[in-house]
Amino acid sequence: MSQYYDIDDILAEDELVPAVFQVAANGVGLFDSSDETNKVTYEDETIEVEQGSKVELPFWLARELHLRQALSINLPPCFNQKTRDELVADAAHVDLKNRCPYFYELGCKLFSLVGDKTIALLLLAAFQTRYKEVLIKAQTAAMTVAPKFLTLLTKEETKLYEAAQSSMVAFKKWRMGGPRFQRASVLGRKRRPSD
Amino acid sequence: MAAQSDPQGSEFSAAELEFLAEDEMIEIVPNMRMESLNLISGDFGPFHPQISTQVPLWLAMALKKRGKCTIRPPEWMLVEKLMQVLEAERDSQKSFQPLPFHYVEISRLLFDHARDDIPDIYMVRSLIEDIKDVRFYKIGTGLEVISQRTTALKLNHLTAMEVNIVRPFLVKALQTFNKLDNPEIHKS
Repeated sequence: MSQYYDIDDILAEDELVPAVFQVAANGVGLFDSSDETNKVTYEDETIEVEQGSKVELPFWLARELHLRQALSINLPPCFNQKTRDELVADAAHVDLKNRCPYFYELGCKLFSLVGDKTIALLLLAAFQTRYKEVLIKAQTAAMTVAPKFLTLLTKEETKLYEAAQSSMVAFKKWRMGGPRFQRASVLGRKRRPSD
Repeated sequence: MAAQSDPQGSEFSAAELEFLAEDEMIEIVPNMRMESLNLISGDFGPFHPQISTQVPLWLAMALKKRGKCTIRPPEWMLVEKLMQVLEAERDSQKSFQPLPFHYVEISRLLFDHARDDIPDIYMVRSLIEDIKDVRFYKIGTGLEVISQRTTALKLNHLTAMEVNIVRPFLVKALQTFNKLDNPEIHKS
């Protein structure tokens, strides 16, 4: 399933998803993002979460609690109707990075947990359109156009773009020529022996 | 392979491709007399002045640098031939023309070292550039067609450098499409 050591996977699972508690939970440490000192200790001040309360949890926590049937997960705000409408209108220019830089990854993971079948189709359609844009932009490699467009891409799309870009750039650099062997900078200037 | 500084490491660096290209055979006309060379990769015949022999490209480069031979450009590198290839490339929308696998690297090596041995060198150079650009453009348009149904992609007659450039992008794109496609098949 998920790559245990993959940094992007870990970061993707760190995204917040809204969830509704089904049972009253006791001793669940809720990391309130606005308040650093709100960590729960077990001796005193255990936070009690009532049934039916809505919280925003990181995905990894939400999934574990979901497996224990303690809560139900809703779709995070980046998959709401507003984003969907924008994707239908013009997928290539939707700023996915702002909403959720792990759009596709999160969508895949959420797919099995949330009872919404339309996620997959949405992701697929969005990716298909955006992919074409990525392709075109990567090949033309104009340095002025690039930065504005790059800010719209999610992590995966950025990796795709960079893969295409770097190989093209390396090829052009090679074609320019240049010395085949470069003297290592460590060698420096020759120094006379000091005797 | 690749330089270890590349963490993805899924491609050769251009210099490595050039190194691999140097194994191709090419015809030279030596201007000195020398015994045959018995190398690990093969025996390269006794060299007599004005009698052409086939040697690998790296050997040709080395001899040329020492001024011991002149290089005869390969057959595909003539202006008429290249013009034909260019015309054919421009005409056919989907398919690529068969070209020597390392034509980019070989041509670059010859331009750098054997400039005086190639007739009409500027013409040849610009033709090869044009061919390269047309092929790249075709690759780009071909890649646009990928959708979720694509399980594998076949591009005929693609040469080493083009394959190397396209490889990381294409592999990642196919992977992502595959990843997005799978849950659907299982669920619906």
